[in-house]
Amino acid sequence: MSALLEVKNLATHFTTRDGIVRAVDGVSFTLDCGETLAIVGESGSGKSVTALSIMRLIQEPQGKVVSGEVLFKGDDILKLSDSKVRAIRGDRIAMIFQDPMTSLNPVFRVGRQIGESLILHKGMSRREAFERAVELLDMVGIPHPRDRARDYPHQFSGGMRQRAMIAMALACDPDILIADEPTTALDVTIQAQILELMIEMQERTGAAIIMITHDLGVVADMADDVMVMYAGKQVEYGKADGVFYTPRHPYTWGLLDSLPRHDIDEKGALLPITGQPPSLINVPAGCAFHPRCPYAKDVCTTGTPVLTDVGEGHLSACHFSNDPEFDRRASQHPGEVA
Amino acid sequence: MTDKHGASPPHGTNGPTDVEGHEIRHEGTTLPTLPGGLHETTTSRTLWGDAWGRLRRNKLAIAGLIWIGLVVAMTITADLWVPPTFGDPLSVNTTPGANLQPPSLEHPFGTDKLGRDVFSRVVYGARVSLTVGLLAVSISLVIGLLMGALSGYYSGILDAFVMRTADVFFAFPYILFAISLIAVLGPSYRNVFIAIGILGWPSIARVFRSSILSVKENEYVDAARAMGASDIRIMFRHIMPNAIAPIIVYGTMSIGGAIITEAALSFLGMGVQPPTPSWGLMLSDAKSLMFAAPWLTIWPGFAILTTVLAFVLMGDGMRDALDVKMKD
Repeated sequence: MSALLEVKNLATHFTTRDGIVRAVDGVSFTLDCGETLAIVGESGSGKSVTALSIMRLIQEPQGKVVSGEVLFKGDDILKLSDSKVRAIRGDRIAMIFQDPMTSLNPVFRVGRQIGESLILHKGMSRREAFERAVELLDMVGIPHPRDRARDYPHQFSGGMRQRAMIAMALACDPDILIADEPTTALDVTIQAQILELMIEMQERTGAAIIMITHDLGVVADMADDVMVMYAGKQVEYGKADGVFYTPRHPYTWGLLDSLPRHDIDEKGALLPITGQPPSLINVPAGCAFHPRCPYAKDVCTTGTPVLTDVGEGHLSACHFSNDPEFDRRASQHPGEVA
Repeated sequence: MTDKHGASPPHGTNGPTDVEGHEIRHEGTTLPTLPGGLHETTTSRTLWGDAWGRLRRNKLAIAGLIWIGLVVAMTITADLWVPPTFGDPLSVNTTPGANLQPPSLEHPFGTDKLGRDVFSRVVYGARVSLTVGLLAVSISLVIGLLMGALSGYYSGILDAFVMRTADVFFAFPYILFAISLIAVLGPSYRNVFIAIGILGWPSIARVFRSSILSVKENEYVDAARAMGASDIRIMFRHIMPNAIAPIIVYGTMSIGGAIITEAALSFLGMGVQPPTPSWGLMLSDAKSLMFAAPWLTIWPGFAILTTVLAFVLMGDGMRDALDVKMKD
């Protein structure tokens, strides 16, 4: 069965005065109908650029998708005409942005904004679109949807705006919903509600979700697949269970260890990954993670690791991924042991 | 804004019309900030509604608005109420002693050297000034908005081309440029506003361009693109309404400027041609009699001053009113 979305070897570079920024450098993944893929990584690891590249929203001429294919139902989005891509955007692939405070246009009533894609893609009249917008607002849990649809965005709270954004993205019943850190700008109490809502909406509409986040806690509940990115490359990719319970890449270990947990009572303190993510202009030679990796050996500074199968389609890009001696628990943070 | 609803309890005042299932389904997810019964009493406030509310509190701006309204009303209805005894503003009265009369009951503003009633000439002159002001600014707006939009939205060569063209316009002394344009077109009522309009677009384009540059960085523009909107739709529906506020301010003030330019051009003989009454032309005619018959300069001068001031005050008030940082 062919996948709903298949991304092959995607690379997006930005030209800046200081040099070429390899924001995304050879990323491949597949997404099936109704599945949830989480893309995880630090700021600047290329998560958002990956999403924007899929929708061909990279601003040229500064940025450019330099290679790769984005096959959506078999068609390469990167090769379609502008008008065909516009027909897909918002209709088949919709996007939720990070900051609901700024992603709603302040001069339009919420109902009108939600209805706009219906007018655009489904040829609805303004009245029909408004009626549908009211239903959608009701669906995402906004009370008094008919009154609220006539409100302006500044009359909504942050959580309600993100609900409205979700309603907007779901308006045309898309096949894929890309959520770019949908909860980052929200209060912790609202975050859980929004995630809950997204899961509920996925059950209702059957949309596949690409969830971009830097918060592993967010993905644990809902992701089928997890892709961990570092410096524009995939470092680990596989089923969520595999990546969470048997991670094979030191960077993923670092991410998991820097997460507060209640179930494992260790020393109490969180273990941050030391150092800073590398500049994407001067990515370190060899494995990009080696300057921060507590397990780095000589080979890491020269050889670029490739994604290798560590079992059941679980891929990891580390020189030692398949070394049975190389284990997170066995060699727990050598820095401390020494 | 949301604190308006903040006080209501989570489910407290929801009406009986609420479907039970709806309530239960969102039990865990209903925000404490969601409106309950309070909502029905909250009026929907709009950006423009807010702005009007702020403008209303600015006394100077309102004075300007009232003055402009008065002038416009007087001008439009002049035929109905200017007493015919004042005489036709255009026809020359050659009766001995009819010219250069000081203000009197019969001629409240006096008469000029050709015996024409100054009051009716000032009133009818407002037609010329206001029409020239409005039409000239309209022309500037049409060209300036288009150019500003193109150059702000599409950066690169197009932007550079439009902005350099604007620079060329700025490089010439304004009045000289206007005079030379009219010298080519021929001095007439129509050519005055065409010339002023053509000369006005670069400033409008500049203001609009910078406004668009800042608006297009907003995430809702990206969101609109991600929704599949075309460039034209994004430009006209998403960017323009958010970028137009400075133009409203600038355009209002420009009307005052255009009125002054018309007066200046007419004063120099390059504008409206006699016998059409125009404030600038009246000043020009009266300049040799400034001390002998001061009423000839005072009234048209007063009219220019107050009307231009009114437009500037109103523009200034609108700038404050439309400034979101002044949100109360």
